Amino acid sequence: MLSFNIQFTGEFIAFFALAVCAIVGAVLALNFTKVVHMTLSLAFTFVSLAGLFVLLGAEFVAFVQVLLYVGAITILMIFGIMMTKHQGEGQEPSRPLRETLAAIGCVCLLLILIYAIRDAKFPGDAAPLPQDTTREIGKLLFTQMAIPFELVSVLLTVAFIGAVALAKREEDPQ
Amino acid sequence: MQHFWDHPLSWGTGGIFVAGAVGVLAFVLLFVTYAIYFERKVIGWMQFRRGPNRTGPLGLLQSVADVAKLLLKEDTIPAKADRGLFILAPVLAFVPSFAVLAFIPYSSHLQFADLNIGFLYYIALSGVTTIAIVIAGWASNNKYALLGGMRSAAQMISYEVPLVISVVGCVMWAGSLNLRDIVAAQSGYFWHWNFLPQIVGFAVFVIAAISELNRTPFDLPEAESELVAGYHVEYSGFRFAFFMLTEYVYVYAIASLTTLLFLGGWNPPIPQLDFIPGIIWFFLKFAVIVFCLFWIRATLPRLRVDQLMGLAWKVLLPLAILNIFITAAYIQLWGMGG
Repeated sequence: MLSFNIQFTGEFIAFFALAVCAIVGAVLALNFTKVVHMTLSLAFTFVSLAGLFVLLGAEFVAFVQVLLYVGAITILMIFGIMMTKHQGEGQEPSRPLRETLAAIGCVCLLLILIYAIRDAKFPGDAAPLPQDTTREIGKLLFTQMAIPFELVSVLLTVAFIGAVALAKREEDPQ
Repeated sequence: MQHFWDHPLSWGTGGIFVAGAVGVLAFVLLFVTYAIYFERKVIGWMQFRRGPNRTGPLGLLQSVADVAKLLLKEDTIPAKADRGLFILAPVLAFVPSFAVLAFIPYSSHLQFADLNIGFLYYIALSGVTTIAIVIAGWASNNKYALLGGMRSAAQMISYEVPLVISVVGCVMWAGSLNLRDIVAAQSGYFWHWNFLPQIVGFAVFVIAAISELNRTPFDLPEAESELVAGYHVEYSGFRFAFFMLTEYVYVYAIASLTTLLFLGGWNPPIPQLDFIPGIIWFFLKFAVIVFCLFWIRATLPRLRVDQLMGLAWKVLLPLAILNIFITAAYIQLWGMGG
């Protein structure tokens, strides 16, 4: 179960670097106290994840990930700047008991995850990756997955109209 | 690419990649130096001035002297600025602008990365520069800089939408997102180039692209009459030079992209002229577009803030969507395109 068999190909080096970047970004996002620093490290994590998608041969997913999250991070950053107080940013009082319990919980979760991943059997060989994944995604979206796709777009439209309605109501003077 | 993936990284392949990157960087720096010179000359002539004419013969060394001045200037960081982010922002702005250049095919043989998603790569990476501009505005701890950064974010996110949607027509025509296939679909006479069949998409693309470049008439993030200089008020020396460099590298990228998507890339205007190499045609069209960008800058005044968002959402977006429907109907009825 604990046997490691690693070949130092370009793919392995790239995977290792990107994985470390993703984890560092996520940890920093939790540890920073200023909202702009947090969102920036989140963006770092998302870009590293996009790199992992490229590594898996899913270029379309990777660049759509960057495209969407870059906009989202920018908006989050602006709202963070506009809607938080900048004087009150300081150290939270430390709670030793809660932190210890949280640390134990995290270690347990980590062990369970490692056990599950090492123990997992992947049945059968994966189908060979198509040359043009973008085309395959497009075909699936408009044939097999048409109904879920349309449902998601209806959901997005509802959320969009809801946001407009909420913003309009706040504009009223009374 | 695949062979780099599957084998251990050797010094030879690594060296080839580094040499390619350095070559592109040198070429882009040359382009930026003389783009700035020509911009000042062209705008000068259009306004009955002479433009730079003192440094070197015909003023040809003016940009070189300007860059040398910027590099020798004192590098100031405001005392109350967020030091780390203030230093990071120019780097974060420049790196994506340079990485964007990797996907541009200059001719049917000369290309660095043949990506299936071509255009999306540009849009995704150019968004990272927006983050850098917001960070630059925030880290400067200056009202004008922050306003400039926020305007930039609002503007670039709004205009990204029509920019992407206006290209969908070309993609439908070629049946592929790959830039090489899009260029191949435009071969033949010059009326086969996308700018005539896709005239609405072309107009929306050009307007949205100028706005993405933050150039006049859409240069509200750095409107000097309102915001002093926008997000880079507090920057000086080589950090400021990096923001300028980023702006001009994006001019290079957008001009290349317009050439590829709408002006037939490396295809000659009539097939009888194809004894002239494709790369010459590419750079001729590229030069015409760069000239048009300067021309627009010299001619049009800046938009008002409240007109800017209205233009993107109420005019450009419906036009771009209409263009998609017309293209789809045309392909369906006459069976043209992909």
